[in-house]
Amino acid sequence: MTHLSAPGKRPGAAVGPAGEERPGATATGGHRWFPAGRGELVERLFAVQSLFALLLVFVLAVVVSPRRDGEIIFLSTENLGNVVRAVSEIGIIAVGMTFVVLLGGIDLSVGAILGLSAVGTATLMVDSGFGIVAAVTVVLLIGALFGALQGYATARLGIQSFIVTLAGLQVARGLARIWSGGLGIPIAYGDGPQEAPAAFEILNGSINGVVPVPAVLFVGIGVAAIVVLRKTAFARHVYAIGGNEKAARLSGVPVLRVKVAVFAIAGLLAAVAGVIHAGQLNQGSPNDGAGYELDAIAAVVIGGTSLAGGTGSMGGTLAGALLLGILNNILALNNIDANVQLLIKGLVIVAAAGLQKLRRSIV
Amino acid sequence: MRTRPVLLALLCTGALVSSVACSVEKPSDGDAAAPNCGAGRDFLIGMSQANNAEPYRQVMNNDVQTAAAGVPGFTVVVADAAQDNSKQVADVENFLTQRVDLLIISPNEAKPLTAVVQKAYDRGVPVIVLDRKVEGEAYTAFIGGDNVAIGRAAGEFYAGTLLPDGGKVIEISGLPGSTPAAERAQGFREGIAGNPEIEIVASQPGDWLRDKGQSVADALLKTHPDAAAVYAHNDPMAEGAYLAAKAAGLHTTVKFTGIDALPVPSGGIKAVEQGRLAATFQYATGGREAVDLARRILVDCSTDVPRTTTLGTMQITSENAAETYARLGGVS
Repeated sequence: MTHLSAPGKRPGAAVGPAGEERPGATATGGHRWFPAGRGELVERLFAVQSLFALLLVFVLAVVVSPRRDGEIIFLSTENLGNVVRAVSEIGIIAVGMTFVVLLGGIDLSVGAILGLSAVGTATLMVDSGFGIVAAVTVVLLIGALFGALQGYATARLGIQSFIVTLAGLQVARGLARIWSGGLGIPIAYGDGPQEAPAAFEILNGSINGVVPVPAVLFVGIGVAAIVVLRKTAFARHVYAIGGNEKAARLSGVPVLRVKVAVFAIAGLLAAVAGVIHAGQLNQGSPNDGAGYELDAIAAVVIGGTSLAGGTGSMGGTLAGALLLGILNNILALNNIDANVQLLIKGLVIVAAAGLQKLRRSIV
Repeated sequence: MRTRPVLLALLCTGALVSSVACSVEKPSDGDAAAPNCGAGRDFLIGMSQANNAEPYRQVMNNDVQTAAAGVPGFTVVVADAAQDNSKQVADVENFLTQRVDLLIISPNEAKPLTAVVQKAYDRGVPVIVLDRKVEGEAYTAFIGGDNVAIGRAAGEFYAGTLLPDGGKVIEISGLPGSTPAAERAQGFREGIAGNPEIEIVASQPGDWLRDKGQSVADALLKTHPDAAAVYAHNDPMAEGAYLAAKAAGLHTTVKFTGIDALPVPSGGIKAVEQGRLAATFQYATGGREAVDLARRILVDCSTDVPRTTTLGTMQITSENAAETYARLGGVS
């Protein structure tokens, strides 16, 4: 299943320091702006495929949006606010998932970690009387630690990440159910003994009454992740391990440390999403987040990151998450039957993966 | 360095977020104004359903749609949350964006949906809550069965008729966090209090689903092979438990009861008729009543509809199963 072509084996393209293909780069390290030939043009197009697709879906949404009194419902403040808010949790999880997938792994436990962290946030604030900062810190630490343990298991013990995180999914779900006693923990706000600090309610609100707070967090985390993935040595190591782990290890990349860190990031971000989730629903329920990992993987795949590892970008994932959010929204606004919606979303994911395959065979 | 695609990505995200902040919107009228109503008009009704995968909810949807087809001008759109609270919140918000004239909702869980239902209610959209409750008072009307009474009726059936000499009972409960589950459990315990020989030895959630009920019953029947009966909170879970017992060879010694009694070929009444369930208790969907209330609010402009409508129940055993099925309009 490992992709056979190592990066940089295409004529006309050179390998950048982060291991991605760079169309237009000459072998001597210069950069040509104009594509020199069909192969490179296609490569360029595919490089921004996810953004292109996002713009396409956005335009499509505007075109097919129902209208009321001449106003395009899709573009209304309220609706766009709903779209970005609905996308935020999956988007944040997808950011963490991108790191894992770039490594050549997969993390199936993120949905369960979301549930665990939602329960933790609710329980600590309501039952144990923690303040917001203390509760959130503990919960984030739990998420990061859980992820780190999974990373260690897959790196040191050599168990495939699919299996480790599948087990992690069950463990996290079980822990969430035990911690909460199986029921959702309602969050009431106030100063009383069984109440959470009112400031936590900000997660359910919006800035200026317009931009939802979770969306701001999503964009902030996304931008930070883009920067990390482009600038840091850590990111280069991630791409290297994903591209060819043996070669990376032999070149001195600290594979164990990087893997543990990557899974810890995924767990941490899933915990962040869980805190937001509890704030949005005023409840920490152990059953929440079921299936979210699949939506996150879909966003990563649509964003152009290969499940085999080694190539991909964070910007692509953000575009993929937004694309899925817009798709969900226009299907709902146009009252497409729920079952047909599932069909369409599945086809979109297959199409995205197919395009990726096409890219490799054309260029 | 490929900065251009990254910049494009940032631009796109920024464009999306700033278009949220700056989009021009015509001032919408009648957001929290007097409800629009009257005869001879078209109305859009949004129905937010908790989980289409449950047969009970499928029948509820059908009841609503069939009843709405009989009211000229009514269009009903059904959204399925698939047991995900976040999805159901998003469904209701999409309905609000579409400016539905009335919202019918059967919430997945009470607490997470309370805020968004209140939002709809505060906007002047009439809200009819079906079957499961939300917290607080921010809704127009609630239609549902009395789950405590149903549980109690079941308990009394066990105490007096099914296990008059006592015995061990396994309980398979509904989704924790949904009000019917808590109420059916509570009522049952009240009902069996009259017979101290009856003991609930185990209680596990089957989440209202047949497959979950089956796997849970598998485990519980292994732990308690001497159980006399299984009290399931709905018919699909009872049927699942029956299948589990059949696999263990216990289906002739253990008795099963459910709740719902849907008049459909795969429903509880048929199961009683065919001998798999000892009894089931009717839990009407309230779909027809909801549309009737909607008609009164939207077409007749009535402002005082009953706040709470409690649907009655009845006990179905092998004696009245066939006749009840026909009477409720079941197709053979």
